[in-house]
Amino acid sequence: MLFNSYAFLFLFLPAVLAGYFAWGRLGNRAAVLWLMLASVAFYAVDQFRFVFLLLASIAFNYLVGFLLISGRLRRGGCLAALAMGISGDLLALGYFKYAGFFAVNVNAVFGTHLVASVALPVGISFYTFTQIAFLVDAYRGNVARYGLPHYALFVTYFPHLIAGPILHHKDMIPQFERNEASRADPHLILSGLAIFAIGLFKKTALADGIQPLVTVAFGPVPPSFDQAWIGALAYTFQLYFDFSGYSDMAIGLSLMFGIFLPINFNSPYQATSIVDFWRRWHMTLSRFLRDYLYIPLGGNRHGRVLRYTNLLLTMLLGGLWHGAAWTFVVWGALHGLYLCINHAWNYFGPSLPRRAAPFGQFAGRALTFGAVVIAWVFFRADSVPSALSIVSQMADPRHIVLGRGEIMNLAFLLLYAGITWFAPNTQALMGYDHDNRRVGGVATLLERGFFPYAVAAVLGFGVLSIQQHSEFIYFRF
Amino acid sequence: MNTPVRQMLIILGGSAMIVLAAAALNFLVDPLQIFRPARLFAAMYSPDSRMQNAGLIRSQDFDTVFMGTSLAIHFRQSDIDRVLGGRSLKLSMTGSSSREQIFVLEAALQRHPRRIIWEVDDWIFRDTPEIDADPYLPADLYRRNAQGIARYLFNGAMARESVWIAARSIPWLRPVVVRVTNGVVFSFPIADPDDINVLKPDFDVAAAYNEQKARASFASITDPARRAYLAEGYDYEAMVRNFEQQAVRMIEAHPQVQWDIYFPPYSILQFVAMRDASPQTLKIVYDFTAYVARRLVGLPNVNLHDFRAVSDVTHSLANYSDVIHHSPAVDQMVLTWIAQGRFRADRNTPTAPLEQLKAQVEAYHLDPAFIAAANK
Repeated sequence: MLFNSYAFLFLFLPAVLAGYFAWGRLGNRAAVLWLMLASVAFYAVDQFRFVFLLLASIAFNYLVGFLLISGRLRRGGCLAALAMGISGDLLALGYFKYAGFFAVNVNAVFGTHLVASVALPVGISFYTFTQIAFLVDAYRGNVARYGLPHYALFVTYFPHLIAGPILHHKDMIPQFERNEASRADPHLILSGLAIFAIGLFKKTALADGIQPLVTVAFGPVPPSFDQAWIGALAYTFQLYFDFSGYSDMAIGLSLMFGIFLPINFNSPYQATSIVDFWRRWHMTLSRFLRDYLYIPLGGNRHGRVLRYTNLLLTMLLGGLWHGAAWTFVVWGALHGLYLCINHAWNYFGPSLPRRAAPFGQFAGRALTFGAVVIAWVFFRADSVPSALSIVSQMADPRHIVLGRGEIMNLAFLLLYAGITWFAPNTQALMGYDHDNRRVGGVATLLERGFFPYAVAAVLGFGVLSIQQHSEFIYFRF
Repeated sequence: MNTPVRQMLIILGGSAMIVLAAAALNFLVDPLQIFRPARLFAAMYSPDSRMQNAGLIRSQDFDTVFMGTSLAIHFRQSDIDRVLGGRSLKLSMTGSSSREQIFVLEAALQRHPRRIIWEVDDWIFRDTPEIDADPYLPADLYRRNAQGIARYLFNGAMARESVWIAARSIPWLRPVVVRVTNGVVFSFPIADPDDINVLKPDFDVAAAYNEQKARASFASITDPARRAYLAEGYDYEAMVRNFEQQAVRMIEAHPQVQWDIYFPPYSILQFVAMRDASPQTLKIVYDFTAYVARRLVGLPNVNLHDFRAVSDVTHSLANYSDVIHHSPAVDQMVLTWIAQGRFRADRNTPTAPLEQLKAQVEAYHLDPAFIAAANK
């Protein structure tokens, strides 16, 4: 079920909210069970054939986690249990997500005729990573014993189940265990509604609104120089508003239930370096890759060469996590390379005099944005040759069309650029403070007299912009 | 009442008012003329034919339907009427699949036309999503069910068009609105249904259709980076299945309707591109169109016209803007050929034109300097 659908907005959400607070009167466990069942139903609406896979994954990981936490296993046994748990998760992910990719490449190399047509269960990348983190922490002794309903809700919780943010058990399960969460808090519901409205508007009005421009570059007709840039920039903004809109909606929805989700975006296109970009873009994935891949690989503890190798490897796997295609591998490799260059520059490059700092910041921001746009071409393109063809057009100013349509499109893009470069983000507007479990405060939108009217307009136009078929881009990952 | 609850009520009430106001405006202006012919406001039309056709089928009088893809998009209804007689309604949709075309034709057939003229490309019969999963065609609006009507009324983009159409009807605002309505920002820029998707009188035909463009297109589609598109979705079994289940079933269900179906005159380069860059696709095209030809001539209410081997046109690359799209002059020829029945397939030898085409493709020689010139 999509957040940007009438069925979700006018049936599912009101019913689940009402049921949650009604069951909450009977106690925390009843409310948690209700929310968990509602989350499974949410998943089943579009993914019924994969509900069993989701439930089996939860049961498997809970059981392995239980073994790790119970203290009944010795160190070798714990390691074996952890290896079994992670292997099981990765095998399932590998089968459902990468079998087709594997077959295509084997066929290409060996001339075989393997066929692997496997449908991708929506959300599998997210719930697999979430649970691998749980197992690793259980092995490290960083997990308290959780009840099955709370654990199952942690995995299935509908605001995040399909496309994140990637949750951490230590952040979420204690919140689910709080009795206060299942009591209606008007302030949190109001704040959640406002954040949800902003996210809905980002998705339906901004992301879906710019989608037609993307095809200017990514269609079968080779674009000109200006069309290639228009398409690449349009996709850059579409992806941001689509995914950050989804994340805002998830945060807003969760807040209505009294649960604080981690923020996932912090104005990433305002980043002044690639390192900064990855602190602002898909932040929960960056943290996961850092804590469960980059650091276990050795991180920056064994010299610069290994550090750069680890960075490249982490980003390559991060790219592959997004999808089973060489385009994602190239995208990951590009970002790995960017990060290595960034770290090398920090170490070897000259430091700017204080007077030149604003210029340095501006140049850093422009360079970072340009590098990110180029990488998105690979992320979006159907194949590496197509991406290379578009990038080559972006580098060839000899072929320019710049008709009335292109000029209008550029004006449209300027509007989007203005929002992403200069406007405050949702958490700044709303004073959303995940760490301290607070929302609102002085100088936030909530304190302004026009707040409810502005949110009413954003919600109204967000609903009016809902299109019949408009999935979130990250549903595919 | 505490502040958060009061504010929540303002938000919910305010947003509901915005949504209802937009729906009321859409109902009043009715840009697609779904509820009534335009009276209060001047009728305006959109070049987005997948959406616009839902309204045209209801608002226009017609006895002939003209269907096809972008190859049939620039035809003028008045030309069709002049050459073929009757009163036509053009429902061609750029890049449309057989599933889309047949869905729209079924809606049009409810108005009991006597004749369908159908431009058929082989690729339209590739597998495509179910009509309800098609993001571009508002299927429920054609069906006029509650969901379709709701989506039409509670639609922000349509409300923007409604405001624009209403503003255009105010005399002192009209000149400004006309100047700004260019089809880029607002989607209903056309005042006469005969002008929908036709080339404007000042359109530079020579600049758009010429040999250089056809050559450049050939170079592009045969480029190793893009040649995979040539084969995309081509599957003989699936195409035959779709043809039978969609096209043949519809034709047989309407025996009182006269069907004039034609294979359009692509440039020879379309087939040469397949010959050189994707021969397996060319084989599927040959086999599939042979099947279609044999099947269609067996249906008593069908005339099949095959223009693919009309070498006077297809070998003259100046007629094309790429390897398939022909100029308005060829549009006129197509209408005349249909009226004369000049290239109507013989019921005994329906694949004779295809055999001619095969021989032409096999014999066509590409100048070694061809690609180099194309890329200049």
